[in-house]
Amino acid sequence: MTEYTGNPLLWVALVALVAAAVLISRQRKAARALRQQVQGLRDHYTELENDYGKSVQAAQERAEDETKTVLKSAMRTLQGLAAEQQLVLSRLQTKYGDSALLQDLLEIDHTNSQFGRRAQSIAVLCDGWLGGRRDTASVYDVVRSAQGRIRHFRRVDILSQVDFGITSRAVEPVALALAELLDNATSYSSPDTVVEINIRTVPKGICVVVDDAGVGMSDEERARADKLLATERASGVAGLGNPPQFGFAVIGLLCERFGFEVSVDSSSPYGGVRAVVLLPHELLTAMPEKKAPAPASAPAARGTARPVPEGGPEAALTSSPTGDGLPRRRRKRPMAIVPGSASTPRATGRSDSEQAQVMGAFQRGTQSGRVTEPDSPDHAGRTSETPGASSEGHEVS
Amino acid sequence: MTGHDGWQPEAPELVRPYVITKGRGLPDEDALSLITLVTASADQQQRPARLSPEEQSLLDLCSAGYLSVAEIAGHTHFPLGVVRILLASLMEGGHLMTRPPVARARLADREILEEVLNGLRAKFG
Repeated sequence: MTEYTGNPLLWVALVALVAAAVLISRQRKAARALRQQVQGLRDHYTELENDYGKSVQAAQERAEDETKTVLKSAMRTLQGLAAEQQLVLSRLQTKYGDSALLQDLLEIDHTNSQFGRRAQSIAVLCDGWLGGRRDTASVYDVVRSAQGRIRHFRRVDILSQVDFGITSRAVEPVALALAELLDNATSYSSPDTVVEINIRTVPKGICVVVDDAGVGMSDEERARADKLLATERASGVAGLGNPPQFGFAVIGLLCERFGFEVSVDSSSPYGGVRAVVLLPHELLTAMPEKKAPAPASAPAARGTARPVPEGGPEAALTSSPTGDGLPRRRRKRPMAIVPGSASTPRATGRSDSEQAQVMGAFQRGTQSGRVTEPDSPDHAGRTSETPGASSEGHEVS
Repeated sequence: MTGHDGWQPEAPELVRPYVITKGRGLPDEDALSLITLVTASADQQQRPARLSPEEQSLLDLCSAGYLSVAEIAGHTHFPLGVVRILLASLMEGGHLMTRPPVARARLADREILEEVLNGLRAKFG
């Protein structure tokens, strides 16, 4: 045993063993440290990646928000200008209503309405202002308003009417959504076809059905439309394509905000697209009252102001408001009538009713005159019972 | 969505006149002048339901008897030209009849009047 301990080889081997053990453990430690470092770097990397993604998204959102804000205020200005111009046009149309200029004014009005609608559509996409209405309007008028906002409005035919109004809050959105539908319908059908609108009452509210005779939509287009109308709302003006397709994106947003439904998933009997707008009861009211008083007063006067076929001339004179066969005029504001023309209808009205009375009186007067002539010619006219005859008597005597 | 900050411009009319006229052109000046007289046709029963509310109210207005175009325009709030277009389309549909304005009475010959005057003076004067 002692010779073993004295053997230097053993010691050398021992030292080598210890050294190897130390080396291994150190290597292991280093490897562990490296692994940890790698893991740390990897974590850092993913963290950075996430941060980068987030900041890119944030930047995108900020940019989009900025675009939206800019567009929103720009569109608001444009909408205001369009509305202002529309008022000016209304005034001009009244002022030059009599001249051939009116035709051109109507054309400008039409262009202006389209321009206003474009601005409104972009405003809707940018969560902007839509323009408000203070009054409710009939469904029919809202549909016609939508009709007026597209280029080919002459090709739109409204086939039915219902006795319902739309609440003031929903007037503009429904009109705008319908205008976008009609724009699609007229743009994607041939120029000689008609786009038909039917308004129907259904248990859930009112349906406005728009049928075009176009080529219809491809599956891809239909899928895009369904997506924009039902599930995934568009936001901002990004992703509208080039040329941008506003229609369904705008309609989808309006549907979500104002609570009506639009579907384009059926095809029209004419081969094109059938779009159905469902207006729920919340957006509907009773028919608004007419503003103009003239149509309301006319039927009241109708019964009394047609004297000749219904009653005698006397009846007409006692009951007719103006005594000459015309309806009573209720002037709300000064009417611009050429002085000479106003007297013309009055004269013709007299020919119907008063003329008869005058002739009758004349006849009675001459008859009574002939009867009483032998007794006393002077008294003949004055004692006659009809008031009209007394004046005739003077002329006879 | 409405004017949440209180600013709301005066709202223009909802239905623009060119929609009410369905984009038709102005009628002939001779066919429908300011003083042309208009009345509804006799057969009021067969009034079609597809007339627009404006056309209906014009028919109501005209059913009371002859009215001049100028007067009808005064009763409505539309520009005169728009009323003329609507009346022309109603005439085309056979719902309205027109009568040309009454011609001005021709003045009697001055010489005849003088002769009559002289005669009367000679007899009574």
